[in-house]
Amino acid sequence: MAVEFEVNEREVWDGNYAASQALRQADVDVVVAYPITPSTPIVENYGSYVGNGYIDGEFIMVESEHAAMSGCIGASAAGGRVATATSSQGFALMVEVLYQASGMRLPIVLNVVNRALAAPLNVRGDHADMYLGRDSGWIQMGAFNAQEAYDLALCAFRIAENHSVRLPVMVHQDGFITSHTAQNVYPLSNEAAAKFVGVIDPVDDMLDFSRPVTYGAQTEEDWHFEHKAKQHKAIMDSKPVIDAIFAEFKEISGREYKRVETYDMEDADVCIIGLGTTVETARVAAKELRKEKGIKAGVLAIRCFRPFPYEEVREALEGVKSIAVTDRSSPGGAMGAFYNEVAGAMATSKARPMVTNYIYGLGGRDLSIENVKTILTEQQANVDAGYITTDLQQFTNLRGPHLGFFKTARS
Amino acid sequence: MTEIRWHSRAGQGAVSGAKGLGDVVATTGKEVQAFALYGSAKRGAALRAYNRISDEQIFNHAKFMHPDFVLVIDPALAFTDNIEVNEKPETKYIITTSLSKEELIAGIPALAGKEDRVYVVDCVQISLDTIKRSMPNAPMLGAFVKISGMFELDYFLENMKRVLKKFPQKIIDANMEAITRAYNEVK
Amino acid sequence: MQDLKLRASENRGKSQLEAGFDLLGWDEVTQGSVLPSFEGDASGIANLKAEERNYSGYNSYTATVASWRVVKPVFNIDVCIDCQNCWVWCPDSSILSRDKQMLGIDYDHCKGCEICVEVCPTNPKSLLMFKENEDLETALSGWPEKTKKEKN
Repeated sequence: MAVEFEVNEREVWDGNYAASQALRQADVDVVVAYPITPSTPIVENYGSYVGNGYIDGEFIMVESEHAAMSGCIGASAAGGRVATATSSQGFALMVEVLYQASGMRLPIVLNVVNRALAAPLNVRGDHADMYLGRDSGWIQMGAFNAQEAYDLALCAFRIAENHSVRLPVMVHQDGFITSHTAQNVYPLSNEAAAKFVGVIDPVDDMLDFSRPVTYGAQTEEDWHFEHKAKQHKAIMDSKPVIDAIFAEFKEISGREYKRVETYDMEDADVCIIGLGTTVETARVAAKELRKEKGIKAGVLAIRCFRPFPYEEVREALEGVKSIAVTDRSSPGGAMGAFYNEVAGAMATSKARPMVTNYIYGLGGRDLSIENVKTILTEQQANVDAGYITTDLQQFTNLRGPHLGFFKTARS
Repeated sequence: MTEIRWHSRAGQGAVSGAKGLGDVVATTGKEVQAFALYGSAKRGAALRAYNRISDEQIFNHAKFMHPDFVLVIDPALAFTDNIEVNEKPETKYIITTSLSKEELIAGIPALAGKEDRVYVVDCVQISLDTIKRSMPNAPMLGAFVKISGMFELDYFLENMKRVLKKFPQKIIDANMEAITRAYNEVK
Repeated sequence: MQDLKLRASENRGKSQLEAGFDLLGWDEVTQGSVLPSFEGDASGIANLKAEERNYSGYNSYTATVASWRVVKPVFNIDVCIDCQNCWVWCPDSSILSRDKQMLGIDYDHCKGCEICVEVCPTNPKSLLMFKENEDLETALSGWPEKTKKEKN
């Protein structure tokens, strides 16, 4: 019997600690890990909870992130509740196995503490690693602060293990900006968390000796396409399940999550769309800009990056005239991936608003309230002019001459 | 919103200090943020840690701030780091030093004319006397409690005991003594 | 005593950094974040001693970490047997040695980790840790005597 770990109603936790507490309260059976900055404390803390008898689980150290996810697959296929954490280069090394996990429909929870990809080597937060996972068939959810890193990790188990979903889930938080920033966190009691997450009811578990199964079958052109299609349909269909689990979480916590979050959007002419901590800084900027300049600015945030909420984005942006989509990853010869998703959604809208792309914050470059105001003010200039006055894609808060690409053909 | 910037070297406990302060502040019902600029920093490298304190949830995640308080817990950094960067007219400085306030200000041109908002305390010596090693973070908290007037000393001590509860009693007592001494000695 | 000529000047490299080395724009930074180790033609560099090489501001040789140190090792040439143990073990290449003759410490790069003291086999040790501000003469004048093994 495990020793009771005492949690207070109000704690001051950083994102890593918060995520590790969620793993403890969810009574995770197996964590297979190869620690990497800045996600290390998540798995390290889980190991200490096992070592100190707070949970009855297995902490397995392996030789690489590739092996870590492979181990998670084994444990999950066996029928256990499984989680791990990684960042950056580790995530990149894990990518091959991410597709195995989602293809086998295994409900693994991966805490990704977002960090830049080398070269040049950098340990700080951007979204380059997260973008690597965007076609991997995992559900991807984003936390904007430590509280959410905790809340979403708990929800992630429910979503992943839901029998109509059966897909692995990533919970993203920004490296250092969330993972190493201590803030007020209001955790659930151990009992409430355990009751919410429940006990895993595995499907096709290999330790069910009454029904032996094979994992890892080969499919060529005769079967592969159908399996991938079924998987894609499952992730597209997971939206109502995610909504229902968020609603249930609100019942017990009072905290409401939506796949698309909106702030000051009711009457907004201009808006900024972001992921992660950027969203919260932008909320402050939009409010100040409304007061200072009378610009009707709003913020739209994507909580659920995969499945991408096309309908909800289109609906939330109805009436907005100029939109700035922010990508915290170097797109390598294209518009930002996030821009493309939003532009795709808005191409189907009646009003077809102006959509611009900002590349920002690579390698942890600070995003200040003033930076966000500049971006929003440029959107207002677009509204006033009636066309996009800037390059469609701009690098912002970058040293050196202006860097931007692709001008609109509309005027 | 109260914003605090710590100047420290990795290993001196600015991050723990900032987090400890955040922990105590949170018990008063306020919202806090404590973070640092480090990562690949090695023991001894200069680093900065930050606190934000507010009555409402804190949404600003930028490192950029105009600090209300600048806490310098390494004596050399007062001279070599730009401790006055992004200051405002009312920014208060609490600086660890063995020098007198006048001697310190004479050596740091950026502090000239700011006598009424520069405070000095020898956190290194206090920690050597009490904690028996150079751990200037705890004394700095005592000095901050005094200068900020944010808490009564007794309230702060009681709550710090809770933050430190995983440590042996001897270490907790030494920290309490360090905080109290700095509270009384800062000037 | 220690050959102080081998120590680089205080804060070498720092002036270049402050002159804007780290503040170049995207159009000025090096291709592929590749950094040259030496100024100018470095042919034949392998045959030159460290202090004769023209290290660039990007090379860690031109940066000092002296201020990271709280305590420092002091080297006593009178006890040293030139075994090179410290030279092998020092993680920061901060033991100065020529032709297997121990010369002293590179205080620009020593971080005060004490490994050299730990691995020194002599009795008394030829390297001991002192407070950073202790002067060399005082440190050497109080060097301990050889300790005799206690027989039981």
